[in-house]
Amino acid sequence: MKKRNSAFNRTFTVLVFLFLYLPIFLLIVFSFNQGNSNTVWTGFSLHWYKELFSDRLIMRSVYTTLLVSVLATAIATFAGTFAAIGFYSLRRRKRAVLNTVNNIPMMNADIVTGVAMCLFFVAFFGLWGSFAQWFNGIQSLIVLPERLTLGFGTLLIAHITFNIPYVILSVGPKLRQMDRNLIDAAQDLGCTWFQAFFKVMLPEIKPGIVSGALTAFTMSVDDFIISYFTAGSSSSTLAMTIYGMTKKRVTPEINAISTLLFVVVLLLLVITNVRESRQEQLEQRRKKLPTVTAAEAAQFARKSRNLGPLPKIAGAAAICVLLIVTGVAASHNAAQPVVNVCSWGEYIDEDLITQFEEQTGIMVNYQTVESNEALYSLLKSGAGDYDVVVPSDYMISQLIEEGMLEKLNYSNIPNFALIGDQFKNLPYDPLNEYTVPYAWGTVGIIYNTTMVDEPISSWSAMFSDDYAGNVLMFRNSRDAMATALLYLGYSINTTDESQLREAYELLSDAKSRGVYQAFVMDEVFQKLEGGNAAIGAYYAGDYLTMLENNEDLAFVVPEEGSNWFVDAMCVLKDAPHRDEAEAWINFIASTEANLANMDFIWYASPNTAALEGYPDYYYENYGEELAPEIYEIMAANEETLSRCQMYVSLPYETRALYNDLWIQLGI
Amino acid sequence: MRNKLSRLSIPYVVWMAFFVVAPIIMVVIYAFSSAEGGFTWDNFAQMGTYAVVFGRSFKLALIATAICLLIGYPVSYMMSKEGPRFQRLAMVLIMLPMWINFLLRTYSWMSILDNNGLLNNLFRSIGLIDLYNNIFGTNIQYFQMLNTQGAVVLGMVYNYLPFMILPIYSVIVKLDHSLVEAARDLGSDTFTVFRRVILPLSFPGILSGITMVFVPSVSTFAISKMLGGGTDLMLGDLIEQQFLGGAYNPQLGAAIALVMMVIVVVCMVVMNRFGEGEEQAVML
Repeated sequence: MKKRNSAFNRTFTVLVFLFLYLPIFLLIVFSFNQGNSNTVWTGFSLHWYKELFSDRLIMRSVYTTLLVSVLATAIATFAGTFAAIGFYSLRRRKRAVLNTVNNIPMMNADIVTGVAMCLFFVAFFGLWGSFAQWFNGIQSLIVLPERLTLGFGTLLIAHITFNIPYVILSVGPKLRQMDRNLIDAAQDLGCTWFQAFFKVMLPEIKPGIVSGALTAFTMSVDDFIISYFTAGSSSSTLAMTIYGMTKKRVTPEINAISTLLFVVVLLLLVITNVRESRQEQLEQRRKKLPTVTAAEAAQFARKSRNLGPLPKIAGAAAICVLLIVTGVAASHNAAQPVVNVCSWGEYIDEDLITQFEEQTGIMVNYQTVESNEALYSLLKSGAGDYDVVVPSDYMISQLIEEGMLEKLNYSNIPNFALIGDQFKNLPYDPLNEYTVPYAWGTVGIIYNTTMVDEPISSWSAMFSDDYAGNVLMFRNSRDAMATALLYLGYSINTTDESQLREAYELLSDAKSRGVYQAFVMDEVFQKLEGGNAAIGAYYAGDYLTMLENNEDLAFVVPEEGSNWFVDAMCVLKDAPHRDEAEAWINFIASTEANLANMDFIWYASPNTAALEGYPDYYYENYGEELAPEIYEIMAANEETLSRCQMYVSLPYETRALYNDLWIQLGI
Repeated sequence: MRNKLSRLSIPYVVWMAFFVVAPIIMVVIYAFSSAEGGFTWDNFAQMGTYAVVFGRSFKLALIATAICLLIGYPVSYMMSKEGPRFQRLAMVLIMLPMWINFLLRTYSWMSILDNNGLLNNLFRSIGLIDLYNNIFGTNIQYFQMLNTQGAVVLGMVYNYLPFMILPIYSVIVKLDHSLVEAARDLGSDTFTVFRRVILPLSFPGILSGITMVFVPSVSTFAISKMLGGGTDLMLGDLIEQQFLGGAYNPQLGAAIALVMMVIVVVCMVVMNRFGEGEEQAVML
């Protein structure tokens, strides 16, 4: 007899489950938060759920996620099961070799698998291009596409590839447990090979297939990094959308959609469970009654048959409904012209996308990326074949230098005339041939007035022991080094090695003294809003977002000066949808779009009418005056800007030095 | 029969050649290339600089794996002793968290562990922090939990515990109980039965659990950024910086990834040798 667990053992198990579910519980709670914070509770509300269904960006990524997961799971389960049977029938040595290869995707870090596949696809597309060109040249019967790009197809291949090993891993042991003689016996008794497979082998390994499929599906839904490198510019999964938001902030809509998915899956699994245990009870009862009458047996059979397919149908139906709902919310016509845009997360009023699509009939594929450097890597590795990107100043000059941008045809962009002269011909694009500015702002120090002794006014606060353990530093080399360079009185664009090393020493010394609580990007919201840290360097627009959740926060552009930045829209070299791209840029440069964006993201607009007209716009929309000091922070005045420098692209050697120093700081 | 069946593996072998082996070859090529494209050893020559990062990553991943094993094994064992209904429910409950993106779950941990977070607020309201200050004569406002290596290990354990429980559970639940009974009949006490029968028989599950926890732990980058405060790099961060982050250098990234892969594969091969006999035991 098996011994049951003691109360102590059960408590332990319950505690482990509490551990697993505590963070999820919190996440669900905050999906009902009124405010836009994930830490500060401001009241109960359902409006994130409402917003969710009109948020096409999220709905589309959910649709892509579900579609790719369902397809990849189905294909991987089918292929993996047969592969497992094949492996099982191989000789031991061969099997060992194949098993090792099969385990590679699991043994490898996801990021390596992702990059490796991306490199492979890009290389393959190159070869294919020359082949198709040659092939189309020698005959005209069949026209092969010459330009292949990453997209849903490659995403699917990648998911299938990392899913199959999970299926094999869970089917394999079942095969080994199976009695081999059973199949031989079945065949001896006259079964064809086919029958033996379906009647004998399949029932034996079915639990393995089911759990393999479940694992594969879960892994597909959860995967981020492999999708990131293989999805290209036209499709993005939910995980990619979430990750793209991490430069700015993750919206509670994400909590809402996660809660919904969670509840749907929970219900599905509970239904399946209840059904299985009912069936089991029936079977047990049948076993207990060895002398059942024929009528009783028939009744049992009917009962279990009635229960049989229902949950499966319910499950399939639920997934179909999910696909249809998200699909409709995300729908588009296949023949519709498209434009692929890549920007920062939470950096646009998404109503603008809908408006643009309705006005022009062009569909916008909108993806987000977490930093300028990540964007550069995506473009370099060939994973990002966008039309429009919105990098910051210094990255723009780097892209221009490397010949990665296309000159714009400004006659297609009449709204460029609305951009203020002070935002034209800036150092990153001196003749203004490549760019149309999107938004601008300043970097400064955000601090909690209740946690500091006196107002902060200098970068010294980032390096002194006064607030040790309560300071947040940038987690990107350029901004972090800039704070140190500014404090030391050097230019933020210096290429002087000794000055850079001095700045590094300052940072590294402060780090070893425990000044920094953490190096952060968007985690800064959580930490400053929730009073977890006293001081942090970040961007002005984001300060205004935080202010909505914590009134004690203040912002200052330190007296030593700071960085001011411009993010501008550019078109990539050889972009496939140039005209659509320019139509998009023109639309976004309009005064209405700029006003809507300013209102949504709290970053200043380069459009003169929008910039000057925003206080009136605010008054019309909210019925109250925009506080002048808030406007001042949003759109820094002449005096503040005169203290600020813009980043310029650094020469290769200096960039290499930055990388070295930054990694040393981390070691 | 067997030969005919073995042909079923051919399509997948071809698939693997294209989408598993060829991409890995690309990584190897990159690891031995310079930025200009020629052959070079330079990427590996720099490896010494990163020894500290290798050490830290392997240390934290090992600790996390050990904790996962210590928690995961008893849980799997106890689950296997419950009724079938509970077992199925428990399996579902273990898989379910993975349906919420790991970034979101990790964010949640930040708000639990932060200086002004859920736990510290709880400790404050029940007077635990005052008590601590009285006893030790300190004057702290909070317990520092976030931004420590402990928090990173916690994040790894939290995210990868299911990968330890699932394989161990699936092996234990299929154990032949007549073996246990036989051992007991022959006079073994509970502990001896566990040590001499159950534990050796669950070895294959333990091995695959260790693999499935250790590999993602050693190469994670989001967890160390968010829970570790981003101050101490891990291997995953290092690789991520070369491919995605501020230091685009795919050649160096490929080299680091390759070294990591080789170390991991060697560990796994050694471990599997060690466990090979045990697999036979399960098949008996």
